[in-house]
Amino acid sequence: MTYIPSADDLEVITREVWTSFLDGDPDGLVPGAPELGAERVTGCVHLSGAYIGSIMLQCSAPAARHAAAALFSMQPADVTQTEVVDALGELANMVGGNVKSMLPGPSALSLPAVVHGQLAVPGAQVVREVGLSWRGESLIVSLWQQAAAAA
Amino acid sequence: MRILVVDDSKAMRMIVVRTLQLAGYDEHEIVQASNGREAVEVISQAPPGLVLCDWNMPEMSGLELLKGLRAAGWDVPFGFVTSEAAPQMREQALAAGAMFLIAKPFTPEDFQDALDPVLA
Repeated sequence: MTYIPSADDLEVITREVWTSFLDGDPDGLVPGAPELGAERVTGCVHLSGAYIGSIMLQCSAPAARHAAAALFSMQPADVTQTEVVDALGELANMVGGNVKSMLPGPSALSLPAVVHGQLAVPGAQVVREVGLSWRGESLIVSLWQQAAAAA
Repeated sequence: MRILVVDDSKAMRMIVVRTLQLAGYDEHEIVQASNGREAVEVISQAPPGLVLCDWNMPEMSGLELLKGLRAAGWDVPFGFVTSEAAPQMREQALAAGAMFLIAKPFTPEDFQDALDPVLA
């Protein structure tokens, strides 16, 4: 039986990344995500190989701006879209790389992609998801798997 | 000593530089490159004492960079700083000539553990 990381695993990995590089506060991320508004930013990395799927990090627009500000040591008001894209891409890469290490291998991790809005992966479905709140804003981490492989 | 930090994410390059400073390596000159190809240019102009390199990058991956350097006869000390730290990645890195692999996210202590033996 292949082990698929649990929602708790996704939370632990995300918490470690946030605590290390964004917050310094292990309690900064709170379980349970508020409603993710239409204005959202999604970072995504794809896995291909023994596991075929994706790891997605969806943030509300304010959460994405605050994350970029923390990574770049800037004021949120000064953050541009370039910094948001760089930050969300790197955060998705870090979470995705750590999730990948728990999945069956070998698999290749793609370069990250970042979109403003929601991202759909044709033929894939969510197999794990965790919603978190950071500074009152929403953050959702999800693991996707190609439907044929997930069946 | 010059330390070359190679990562396609500007945010991560900043974090690596900050972590080097927090780990006590602030007396070293730190230079940056955003992918393997840029790193080759920097190294060919003036070889650094250490390369800290991401694995997954556009243009040229960290592993391609390391293999290219070794094939060309450059023996500059080289370590990976990457989100992928599965055992097979570590084996691949060490087999290609890397001295260490630091997993993201990391702490200043992780840097000290990996870099002290190299920089001592």
